[in-house]
Amino acid sequence: MAQTYRTMLVDPMVDNNPITLQVLGICSALAVTSSLQVAMVMTIAVTLVTGFSSMFISVLRSQIPSSIRIIVQMIIIASLVIVVDQVLKAYAYEISKTLSVFVGLIITNCIVMGRAEAFAMKNPPFASFVDGVGNGLGYGLILMLVGFIREFLGSGSVFGITVLQTVNNGGWYVPNGLLLLPPSAFFIIGLIIWAFRSWKPEQVEDREYRIQTVEAH
Amino acid sequence: MSENNTENRNGQDTEAKFTPEMNPPDRDLPAPEGEVVTSKGFLRRFLDTPADNTAKTMVVALGLCFVASMIVSAAAVSLRPLQEQNAALDKQVNIVQVAGLYEDGIDVAETFEAFEPHVLELATGEFTDQFDPYQFDDRAAADDVTLSAPLDDDPANIGRQANYVTVYLLRNEDGSLDKVILPVYGYGLWSTLYGFIAVEEDGNTIYGLQFYEHAETPGLGAEVDNPRWKALWNDKLLRTDDGKGELAITVAKTAPPAGEDYHIDALSGATLTSRGVDNLIRFWMSERGFEPFLERVRAGEI
Amino acid sequence: MGLRNFFDRIEPHFVNGGKWERYFPVYEMVESFLYTPKTVTTAAPHARSYVDMKRIMTYVVLATIPCILMALYNTGYQTNIAIGEYGPSGWRAAIIEALGIGFNPANPLANMLHGLLYFLPIYIVTLVAGGIFEVIFATVRRHEVNEGFLVSSMLYALILPATTPLWQVALGIIFGVVIGKEVFGGTGKNFLNPALTGRAFLYFAYPAQLSGDSVWVPVDGFTGATALAVSAADGFQELAGRGMTWWDSFLGFVPGSLGETSTLAALLGLAFLLATKIANYRMVVGCLGGMIVFSLLLNWIGSDTNPMFAMPWYWHLVLGGYAFGLVFMVTEPVSGAHTNLGRYIYGALIGFMVVMIRVINPAFPEGMMLAILFGNVFAPLIDYFVVQANIRRRARRNV
Repeated sequence: MAQTYRTMLVDPMVDNNPITLQVLGICSALAVTSSLQVAMVMTIAVTLVTGFSSMFISVLRSQIPSSIRIIVQMIIIASLVIVVDQVLKAYAYEISKTLSVFVGLIITNCIVMGRAEAFAMKNPPFASFVDGVGNGLGYGLILMLVGFIREFLGSGSVFGITVLQTVNNGGWYVPNGLLLLPPSAFFIIGLIIWAFRSWKPEQVEDREYRIQTVEAH
Repeated sequence: MSENNTENRNGQDTEAKFTPEMNPPDRDLPAPEGEVVTSKGFLRRFLDTPADNTAKTMVVALGLCFVASMIVSAAAVSLRPLQEQNAALDKQVNIVQVAGLYEDGIDVAETFEAFEPHVLELATGEFTDQFDPYQFDDRAAADDVTLSAPLDDDPANIGRQANYVTVYLLRNEDGSLDKVILPVYGYGLWSTLYGFIAVEEDGNTIYGLQFYEHAETPGLGAEVDNPRWKALWNDKLLRTDDGKGELAITVAKTAPPAGEDYHIDALSGATLTSRGVDNLIRFWMSERGFEPFLERVRAGEI
Repeated sequence: MGLRNFFDRIEPHFVNGGKWERYFPVYEMVESFLYTPKTVTTAAPHARSYVDMKRIMTYVVLATIPCILMALYNTGYQTNIAIGEYGPSGWRAAIIEALGIGFNPANPLANMLHGLLYFLPIYIVTLVAGGIFEVIFATVRRHEVNEGFLVSSMLYALILPATTPLWQVALGIIFGVVIGKEVFGGTGKNFLNPALTGRAFLYFAYPAQLSGDSVWVPVDGFTGATALAVSAADGFQELAGRGMTWWDSFLGFVPGSLGETSTLAALLGLAFLLATKIANYRMVVGCLGGMIVFSLLLNWIGSDTNPMFAMPWYWHLVLGGYAFGLVFMVTEPVSGAHTNLGRYIYGALIGFMVVMIRVINPAFPEGMMLAILFGNVFAPLIDYFVVQANIRRRARRNV
């Protein structure tokens, strides 16, 4: 094994994070991060789907005809997503109402598809499962971070428990309404990427061009 | 930029581990040694067929679709009862809440037993037996041309109004009326607000108002869900003169001429949502809404 | 010149190799603020012009003077009128009382002083909070603190309502400086106007206080709708009924954000900016044209349910932040379009969007800020197409 299971699990957290390094899965990160609870359920859903879809695809990898491999991957992923959606509707109705279509949209989440195509098609089942879970958790880490910032500063609470009593409820904290709007996740993810790349400069991409400087003479 | 990055990284770890045995290239036929072939079972032979063989492609595709559809439908069918129960519970919670009976940890379904659903014909204010109140779908009725009528003057901006709606009665121990729970809805700023209003047995005093579905701006219009704002509705009056006078209930910044008893302060910064709520309440409490029914409530006929 | 000597004496510590090398930007900021920069262009070609960055920025600040004066006067005037009705409240009123100046709206000096007590704290907080972040970035990134910040902070202070809490003022300018400018590389590389970015942040973050729905007169108990909100609800004809005339709006004696009520003051600034060729007239023409044409079109279309359709263009001109935005934000050279044809298009796009947002979007009574930011975002695209069209045209000519 070129990688140990541990690095497969830990690597996507910071060093190869699907959101901050590969900039995948941004769409759902905007939509489901206005509260931590919802972000956490989404994290679990995506982690399960990425893990198991990678595993199943890996089991079948030598049998999947290359001409229809994308469709086969989609079928496996979509089936898993539908099952997750049905389970959420049955056991976490409130949250599934908030997540609405975004559970269904896990199908189109580039992270799931990306891991299936890039890793699971070429590696054994258990390694693929660990890789999928690692990437799901890497995605979830950012989701939770964004969710925490948005819920804490936007509604003054953490996991629905009031921490800062807002003005509308007779407290002192004036909640920041911008953070309740989806675009704010753009700023937050941008700032997180900034922070990550200041911490680990090797993540910074090469410039596409350089501005030429003329030497004084 | 980012895509390059991904590919590079993925390329590295995949290429390092790619081994030819996993996907044997260019083996058109099963292994040439005849004796081995005969000893293999059907499944083995199938698995050894190269993946790009047309027949195998078909078999894999069909087989996978079959298995996947089995799993998906099994999940959907086995979880259906739970989901339906949840959806019903979701509506019941709101009715129980607006009537002020909700506390953390109560059995909602059991509390809801106390409510008596009836399908109401709006125009007459009479209950009808045409429909089963437990099955009647208000929203579907509002879209059904046989059960609804288009509105010309449409302050609540709802397009069509159903002729029949489901209302809920809550009775005291002795069987006398305690509250009526009436469904209301109308357009705010961005979305239609759906909710319930609870009216006391005098047919004129509001007990509470609660919206259960809307998509107003978080922090502004969405403050219709704020308990402090909802509490403002308690004990307000719909009509002047003990219900015999004008419809006076108003959501606005300033009190109407009838006085503070008929005034709910508008949400700050959410003029249009407040106006929407004002419009929809005034519409549903008017003669075209629940007034014929409320008149019967006031007369003590229910 | 003792001060010059002082700078010359401490300079070696800040240049490369000096012990405070890291803090060169801070030194440079103070020094070049007080004295003409010593650096001269060394590489060819040499274009001679007295107009350097510092001068441009200074001129823009000079151009805002009529608006500042109106801001002081009108804020005090509106507050004093409201105090006459609701009584004084807050520490500013206490200071005025202690000084024995009184709250007579007919007394210009009393108005100016009262206005100053609102404007000054906002402006100082803007300078300090924004300045701290400017210096942090300048120090870390090793670039110089730019005079552009003086302009941004002045414009930012002028487009805030007098009622803005000071902590929100600080938060807004920090967001404007960091997200609107520094993350993209500092002055000259910002594609959004930093002052407006900060204002937009406050607008969306604290909409209950800042959405331009109710007026901003800093007296407890005072409520009322802005001219634009009234027009949106009942039509502009209703304004007269509320005692707001066109001339009041033109001169600036209406409630509103600190410095943007007076169209006249903004136009004086525009005359100065056009005379000194700092503002490009093409953007102004485009923006006026876009606004006038589209509002005439809407007048002609008409609407039964939306009274804003009937709002004539000369009312659009004087209400809200249109004039101020036109003069100081649309003409801002960095975030606008850079080609001449592009400038017309850029201006027209903003003029069109203002009317569009004001009239058709029910959620936002005022649209100037959003329209300009929208224009900022599109400016590079407009330039791109103008340049491409030019390349094609020339290629055809020289087959």
